[in-house]
Amino acid sequence: MTAASHTAEPALAADGLGVRYGSFVALKDVTLRVHANSVHAIIGPNGAGKTTLFHALTGRVRPASGRITLGGRDITRTRDDDRVRLGLARSFQVTSLFATLSVRENLRLAAQGRTPWAALAPWRRVPDRDAALDTADALLARLDLAGVAGRPAGELSHGQQRRLEVGMAMAARPRVILLDEPTSGMGTDDIGAMTDLIRDLGRDHTVLFIEHNMGIVMNISDTVTVMRAGEVLVEGRPAEVRDDPEVRRAYLGNMITGDLR
Amino acid sequence: MTRLLERPLVHFGLAAATALVLPLVLRSGTLASEILIYGLAAAACNLLLGYTGLLSFGQGIFFGLGSYAAGLLLLRAGWPAVAMLPAVALVGAATAAGVGWLSIRRQGVYFVMLTLAFSQLFYFLSYTFSDLTGGDNGLLNVPRPRLGGQALADPWAYYAFVAVLFLALFAALQRVALSTFGRTLLAIRDNEARASAIGFPVRAFKVAAFAISGAVTALAGALHAMLIGVAPLSNIEYHTSETLLIMTIIGGAGNLFASVLGAAFYLVAGDLLSAIWPRWLLLLGALLVAIALFMQRGLWGLIERAAARLAREPRPDADASADATLPEESRP
Repeated sequence: MTAASHTAEPALAADGLGVRYGSFVALKDVTLRVHANSVHAIIGPNGAGKTTLFHALTGRVRPASGRITLGGRDITRTRDDDRVRLGLARSFQVTSLFATLSVRENLRLAAQGRTPWAALAPWRRVPDRDAALDTADALLARLDLAGVAGRPAGELSHGQQRRLEVGMAMAARPRVILLDEPTSGMGTDDIGAMTDLIRDLGRDHTVLFIEHNMGIVMNISDTVTVMRAGEVLVEGRPAEVRDDPEVRRAYLGNMITGDLR
Repeated sequence: MTRLLERPLVHFGLAAATALVLPLVLRSGTLASEILIYGLAAAACNLLLGYTGLLSFGQGIFFGLGSYAAGLLLLRAGWPAVAMLPAVALVGAATAAGVGWLSIRRQGVYFVMLTLAFSQLFYFLSYTFSDLTGGDNGLLNVPRPRLGGQALADPWAYYAFVAVLFLALFAALQRVALSTFGRTLLAIRDNEARASAIGFPVRAFKVAAFAISGAVTALAGALHAMLIGVAPLSNIEYHTSETLLIMTIIGGAGNLFASVLGAAFYLVAGDLLSAIWPRWLLLLGALLVAIALFMQRGLWGLIERAAARLAREPRPDADASADATLPEESRP
C-alpha cells in the first residue's frame, strides 16, 4: 500500500473505528489515513458502511470503538458542530439544504457556522458586509450560482442543488472536506464540472469523498479505499485498486458505473 | 406592494397602527388591552413555532407564571411595577430555558409531549401551592401600576401603558427575528441536521429562543394579571397554551405581526360571537380546520395573496415589480 509510505501527520485519521446500530455492526475496525492536500476516494457497494464512516468521522454517530484524529488532535468525543470549528466539513448524499432560504443565505449560514457563538447574539443585526457574506459571494461565483443567489434553495434544479450542497461544505473553509456522493443523480455535463471542482479542492483542502462513478474516482484520486461489509478491503493508488483481483472479483460489473480508464 | 409587506419597518408600523386604531374602533378598553397582551404572547409563541419550528404547548406555563410572579411581587413584596416587570421577565426566561433545555432533548411528537407534560406539571404545582397562588380562586387584588401617584384605574389609561410596553417588546422581538440569531433559527427550522452539520450548536440556539419567548410571554402574563386584577389559575392552564397556539396559527406562523392579527381576530370574534351564541368556539374550530386545510399561512397569508393580486393589476411596470419581489440577498 503506497499510502503507508507517507510519513507526515495525516490530515484525518481513523484507528480501529467501529460503529453499531443496535446489534447490527455497520463498521468494524476501520483504519484510515487521509493525507493533507490529497484527494482520497472511498468506494464500495451499497451497505459497505461508507456513509456510516462519514457519520462517524463528522460526529453524527458515536463510534462504539476506535479513535479519530484531525491533524493529530483526538476528536473521537468531539460534538459534530465543534468539529466544523476544528476544520472538518461535509456534504450529504441526499441533498440537505435550507429549502425556504435563499441560496446566498444558505452559503452565508454555512460560512457563519465557523463562528457560531457570535451568531447567538439576538440583538446583533446581520451586517451588510462581513466575512461570511464575502465567502458566500465568492462561492456563488465559483459554483456558478450567482444568477440564482436570491432564489430559495428548494427551487433550484437538481444539478444546482448538488453544487450548492458541496458549496455548503466549502463555505466553512475546512481543512478536510468530506463529500458524500457529490455527483449523485447528476447529468453528464454537470458531472464534468463537479469533477474539476473536486480536483481543485484537493489543492487547498484535503478531500475525502464517496463516489460510485469509477471514471471520476480513477481520474482524480490520489488514494482509493475500497470498503465491503463495514471493513476496508483494499487501499492504494487508483491503478493498484483497479487491478486488484479481489476488487475485480467483488465489484466489477456489479456496482461500478462510468468508464475505467 | 408584496415587496412592501416584507419590510420590518412596515410590520412595526402595522403594530403601531393597531395600537392607535384599537381605541377608535373598540368600546372596551379591557378588550383592547387584551388584544395587545395576547398579541405579544402569540408573537413570542411565533418565535418558537414560526421561526424555530418548535410546537410548544408550554407557553401557558410562562404566561401563568408571569401573572403569579407579578401578583406576588406587587402584593407580598410590595415592589413597584417598574422593578417587578424586569424581574418577571427574568423568571419567565429562566423557567423557559429550563423547560426548553429538557424538552428539546427529544424531537417531534416527544418534544410536544414533554411540553404538554410540563404544562400539566406547572398547573398542578400552582393548584397545590395555594398559599402562594390562591389555588382555584387565583391571586386576588393584583394592583395596577401607578403613574404620577395615581393608579391606572381607567381602562384606557391602562391601555396606554400596555400599548407602550407592547410596542417596545414588539420592536425587541423584531430585532431578535432579524438578528444573526433569528436568521439561524430559520435555518434550524428548515433543516436542523444541516444546521448542526455546518457548525451551529442547535440546542443552545433553541434554549435561547425558549428563554426569549418565555420572557416576553411572562411579561404578557404580568400585564394580564394587572389588567383583570387577578392572577387566575386559568392563566397557567393548558388551555392558555392552546389559545396562544391557535392565535399564532390563525394569524400565520413565521411573521410577528401576523400573531397580533391572530390575537385580535380570536378575541374580537370571541367577543362578538359569544354575545350571539355561547357555543361560538365551535365556529372557531371550523375555521381552524379550514386554515389547516386551505390557508396554512393564516390571515397574513390572505393579506399577502391580496397584495400580490393588487400588484398584478395591469400596469406598465408589472414585470419590474415582479423582479423586485426577490429577497433582499439577491440585490447587489
